[in-house]
Amino acid sequence: MTIRPFAAGRAIGVRVAAAVLAAALALPGEAAAQDGAITGTIIDAASQRPVGSVQIVLAGTSLGTLSRDNGRFVILNVPAGEYTVRASRIGYAALEAQITVVPGRSTEHDFAMAAQALGLDEIVITGTAGAARRREVGNAVTQLDVARDVVGPPVNVDALLQARVPGMSITQSSASSGGGAMIRLRGNVSMTQSNQPLIYIDGVRVRSEGFGKNVPPVGYSGRSNNDISSPLNNINPQDIERVEVIKGAAATTLYGTEASAGVIQIFTRRGSVGEATWTGQVEQGFARNLTFGPDPSLRPPSENPTSLSGGRSDFLFINPWLRGHKPSCEDPIVVEGQPCDSGLFSDIGAHQQKYAVNVGGGARDVRYFVSGSYENDDGVLQNDNEKKVILRGNFSFTPLDNLDVQWNTSYTNDQLSHTAGGNNAHGMTLNTFRRDRNYLNDESFNAINPFLDQELTTQIDHLITGLTATFSPFGSFTNQLSLGYDLAQQDNRNLRPFGFIRAPSGILSTSRFEFSTLTVDYVGSFDLELPANIGSRFSFGGQSITERRELTTAYGENFPGPGDPDVDNAGNTLGFEDRTRVVTAGFFAQNVFERANRYFLTVGFRVDGNSAFGSDFGVKWYPQASGAYIVSDEDFWPESWGTMKLRMAWGQAGRAPGAFDAVRTFSAAGWGGEPAFLPSNVGNADIGPETTSEFETGFEGSFLDDRIAMDVTVFHQKTSDALFSVRQIPSQGFIGSQLANIGQLTNRGLEVGLNVSVVRNDTWSWDLSASLAAHGSNVDTLGGATEFSIGGFGWVIEGQPAPVIRSDCVTNPDELADPIIEQDCIHGPNQATTIASFGTTFGLPYGVTLTARSEYQGGAFMFNGPQAAATRRSVRWAGCFEAYNTEETRGPNALTAEERARCNVQWYQSDFAIQPADFFKIREVSLQAPLPDAWANRMGAARANVTVSGRNFFRWVDPLMRTLDPEVGGNVGYNTRVRSMTEHVPPPAYYTLSMQVVF
Amino acid sequence: MKSISIERAWESGRGGLLVLMPAVLLSACDVSVINPGRVQEDFLFKAEAQAAIVKGIGRAASEAHNWVGYTGAAITREIHPSGSTGSFGIQVEWQNGELDYETVNTHWNLSQRARWWGDDGISKIEEAGAEDPEMLGRAYLWAGYAYRLLAENFCDAVIDGGPREPRSVYYERAIARFDQARAHGSSEVAMAATAARASVKAFLGDWNGAVADATTVPDDFVFHMPYHSTEGTTTHNRIQFASQAEPYKAHTQKFTKYEEYSLSDNNPNGDPRVPFRVTDETGDAAVQCCGQVPWWPQTKYPEPGADIPLSKGAEMRLIEAEAMLIAGDWRGAMGRINGLREAAGVEAATASNALETWTALKRERGIVLWLEGRRLGDFFRWNRDNAPGDRHPLEVPSGSQNEGSHLIQQDLCFPIARSEIDTNDNL
Repeated sequence: MTIRPFAAGRAIGVRVAAAVLAAALALPGEAAAQDGAITGTIIDAASQRPVGSVQIVLAGTSLGTLSRDNGRFVILNVPAGEYTVRASRIGYAALEAQITVVPGRSTEHDFAMAAQALGLDEIVITGTAGAARRREVGNAVTQLDVARDVVGPPVNVDALLQARVPGMSITQSSASSGGGAMIRLRGNVSMTQSNQPLIYIDGVRVRSEGFGKNVPPVGYSGRSNNDISSPLNNINPQDIERVEVIKGAAATTLYGTEASAGVIQIFTRRGSVGEATWTGQVEQGFARNLTFGPDPSLRPPSENPTSLSGGRSDFLFINPWLRGHKPSCEDPIVVEGQPCDSGLFSDIGAHQQKYAVNVGGGARDVRYFVSGSYENDDGVLQNDNEKKVILRGNFSFTPLDNLDVQWNTSYTNDQLSHTAGGNNAHGMTLNTFRRDRNYLNDESFNAINPFLDQELTTQIDHLITGLTATFSPFGSFTNQLSLGYDLAQQDNRNLRPFGFIRAPSGILSTSRFEFSTLTVDYVGSFDLELPANIGSRFSFGGQSITERRELTTAYGENFPGPGDPDVDNAGNTLGFEDRTRVVTAGFFAQNVFERANRYFLTVGFRVDGNSAFGSDFGVKWYPQASGAYIVSDEDFWPESWGTMKLRMAWGQAGRAPGAFDAVRTFSAAGWGGEPAFLPSNVGNADIGPETTSEFETGFEGSFLDDRIAMDVTVFHQKTSDALFSVRQIPSQGFIGSQLANIGQLTNRGLEVGLNVSVVRNDTWSWDLSASLAAHGSNVDTLGGATEFSIGGFGWVIEGQPAPVIRSDCVTNPDELADPIIEQDCIHGPNQATTIASFGTTFGLPYGVTLTARSEYQGGAFMFNGPQAAATRRSVRWAGCFEAYNTEETRGPNALTAEERARCNVQWYQSDFAIQPADFFKIREVSLQAPLPDAWANRMGAARANVTVSGRNFFRWVDPLMRTLDPEVGGNVGYNTRVRSMTEHVPPPAYYTLSMQVVF
Repeated sequence: MKSISIERAWESGRGGLLVLMPAVLLSACDVSVINPGRVQEDFLFKAEAQAAIVKGIGRAASEAHNWVGYTGAAITREIHPSGSTGSFGIQVEWQNGELDYETVNTHWNLSQRARWWGDDGISKIEEAGAEDPEMLGRAYLWAGYAYRLLAENFCDAVIDGGPREPRSVYYERAIARFDQARAHGSSEVAMAATAARASVKAFLGDWNGAVADATTVPDDFVFHMPYHSTEGTTTHNRIQFASQAEPYKAHTQKFTKYEEYSLSDNNPNGDPRVPFRVTDETGDAAVQCCGQVPWWPQTKYPEPGADIPLSKGAEMRLIEAEAMLIAGDWRGAMGRINGLREAAGVEAATASNALETWTALKRERGIVLWLEGRRLGDFFRWNRDNAPGDRHPLEVPSGSQNEGSHLIQQDLCFPIARSEIDTNDNL
């Protein structure tokens, strides 16, 4: 290796500038006369299709590159000599070749890579201090290679990940445009803190919690569309190279406080040496809901088949405002001015369109990947729309042989418009679901339609930028310093204009959120030779994360008249501000011991301080140990048995309390325009993070000539010092709850992933995949606290799942008698305990690919809020049509006790709206076909393909859930600890036609 | 792994980086952050905080009064449910007249907070030394009203996480706070404390003491609990806000006894002290008993910032009347009642014996103290004392959702809520 003098660093700026210019002009770097180059093409050995993103390195040097989408690669400025060229990529067996480089000439070498079910030498980043080979890692890591594993263009990152990772549940909570999804890895680890995993993009910690809800600070907190956007979806899925997921504390120790719910690392694409490769993509499609109410044929005789607006029970009467399901224009019930379906695809659904382009290339010293996308997606609800622009620039610099600099930046502008929904008396959904007993006592089109006058708009500007410098002063010592900044500014405007049907004098709220996360991260890694042929890699580092959240809101009500107001125009105006800053800082060390490239032992720790810890708490220590054993490398292991890695890991990670939980505080409230103090938070000087310890063990294996790959993991998590909301004694003045580290939860489970290559030849291939994740949680102890509710009938009770759904119940449900009611019945867990996914991919002649994925989730129970709220108001609820029918045709005595309790207001309690949340969905079916080369060439392109996709277009739900969809969420969208439903339209199905052209 | 020996690494002279890098990072590991916005307790011992403490005690009392008064009005059928059963509505249990311990957490919590914050806030002011004695007098008054609210509406007493105690504990503490308010407060505060003390003494059956206080309060004296149109719905007059088209049309005067004699569009000569408006609208949601109920909203409180009387001269006259009646002077009692009616411009009531006078008195207290959060307490003590005289059929349980008052039962006090029972080991 050549170590250039440090003095050369003074010229780095000049070199970088020159290299950027050269790269921008797509000019390969000028090779020195004594240097040569290596070029070639990489194809899939089975399909003969080009393979991009293959890492090609010259062993023993820092020279290397990535193959481009057309499979081509070039390594410039290679000094003359003999080299071992190594090609590796996730999902393929690594290849090596011996090549001789001749001065002034380009040496050509092609690779035909064979798919490999288990790549022990694949590099993984997540959960380790620096990169590691998969064979070294003692915990389960799921890698998703987007180019290899994803066929159809996903709607967003949430959809990209859905049903692909064992033990991962991703549920979108409504049809609201831009709505994010709840992500759970191995269920819940906390009953009071967030269970959303941490998200890193190119090593930069980004906000993993949702953006702010668009709701006024005054009055009922549901005057909104009641869903929130996710920062995760501000990444263009086409920009992603791969995703790594680690699920539990055994793997996330080095992330420390905040990481117990798992970590998702996203790595975006990088440029590779060579001329610019341009890729363009156009998508057109539509969204359209499946039915979410009972078939109209079940209606009782007293019911009209449609509402006065033309709504039908199978859409809970909202279809006149639902794109894709409007009543026929021929229907006499349609009034003048009412949108309707005139046939000829006039009402096929909500139009979705996306246009994307990217270019990658560069010279040896500078590579680039630049992309841009624009999408304009209507939602299924009438006011819903999302316009999103995403720009990305990823630049790689190699100013010195031993210094790599990666600068990745993305900017997203997301403009959203929404229809008021959820549990919202001023909303479209609630007032249609409740028919003529809504807040207008009128279900006609002209009565309900004015709810669309509410303007709910959001603009999010999101910048993520990160600079990572990797410096290797000598061969085995690397230093990596990362600086990351995630800044999101959100502008919410919520206007009920003057004359609005439910607020005639008008109400306007304008909120400005600013979320930022500043990350400084250093990792040093040092390889050593120890006695007895033991290899050692010592890694150490530190991390500082500063998260800020600022919110200012202006609120006004009582406007003098119509117009386009601002808050100043209001008769009454109020202002609000909220600012918090939380700092986490810690350091870590880890050592990997290795012997014979098959025995690996990793030990490490992290120590954290956090500004939210109590003043008496101090710092938190998280230890870790893991081992991996490549048993198939042993001499006694016949090659015909395949490859087998055994692994075992134990580690701890945490979750910090909230910014104010440690402090005894009083709120500064106003009273008649004068300041007033009210008791707020009891405070707890001893408060610290909850600590999740996890033990996991399992194996990864590939068998039968790599045709079967299997990954099995058993885990046991214990969250000690769990932060529980200790209900305060009201007569002692503080009526809220106080967090305290008093509880203990356990969560154990099994994850099995299976991939089978049934057919594999030059023309045909057929792959099957399946995964099963089963887990069960338990509240071991409440630490002396009283059992407590966390909303939506979700309770934390000793000896029960965390959380468990508990409510009063009917003990004689099937008897033709009045209900016998028992208090405090346990229904079961709120999170799915069984998640199974099934997939298949067919490789067909002519490069055609057909793929399908489906998912089942079962074992959970949830509260159907819309049913409860409607029935207690004597609304004729569509979910009770069957019971009403029985009552009207056969008399009230023909009703079962369960039907009487659920549908007869005489017996009604909200408790009887607890329902099983089991479901099965086909998440995706995609067919991708390449265009004939001649057609592509005619466009001036190297190749092109067309993809047709359908997503979530089939659903089965437990028959006891008669309305809506188990994925529907509550008034806080996905940001909840207990899943329960409010009056949302369920997430729709998506149908997309896309064309991708590579130049 | 590509490795070098330890010796070679250190010899390279760069091994120091192993130590340097984390040291650089650790030097930046200052995690101390003070976030703005919330007030830490130490600040409340400063003199500058005292005004806001007193306001806070008042606001806490107003929020408690809001909830207890509203639900009590539904139980006693001062109002009838007509709309939402949710945020600003009348829950199904309350529609039926039931105050189940699981449904009254908010009432209990807010009332206990008002009581505790009164005591705690006063102790903070006393410890620091009151900057303004009159301000301290007002704090005593708010604390006294917090105790009176508990005394008149809650079945049992619990103090600071202690055991269940008789309700009289609240009375005694209320009187003690009113005594302090009389001693330290302004003339207005002192007069309000006197009137409030009269009402508590009446509740205790100390009629001599009650009358002694009542007689010092002039006819036109009124002391209000302030409510506000801004600062959010918790500072709104809940009875007014919930009754309006925005947000919920949650209650109505339809199906109440006030239909008969109130000032309304149907009865222009009705009693102006109990006014409501007749509309052709119905409540926002169907109600269990009656389907969609005509919405006839009260107009005593015209806007969300309308204050609610806590003590007034008219109530004092009725205390005097009730004391006379107990003493056997029913004619004197009718004189007091008709004095109020004359002042209000409505025709005199008639009675020919003590029993009829009791009926008239009960009706008159219903009118004078309408929607002021006092009716439930009256029902309780009359029931406790076996006071003669009938209440109107529309304010007593009919035992059925389908007839009369639509009250299946009528609980006359709020129980200790589940929130206290679940957490207080002394219960």
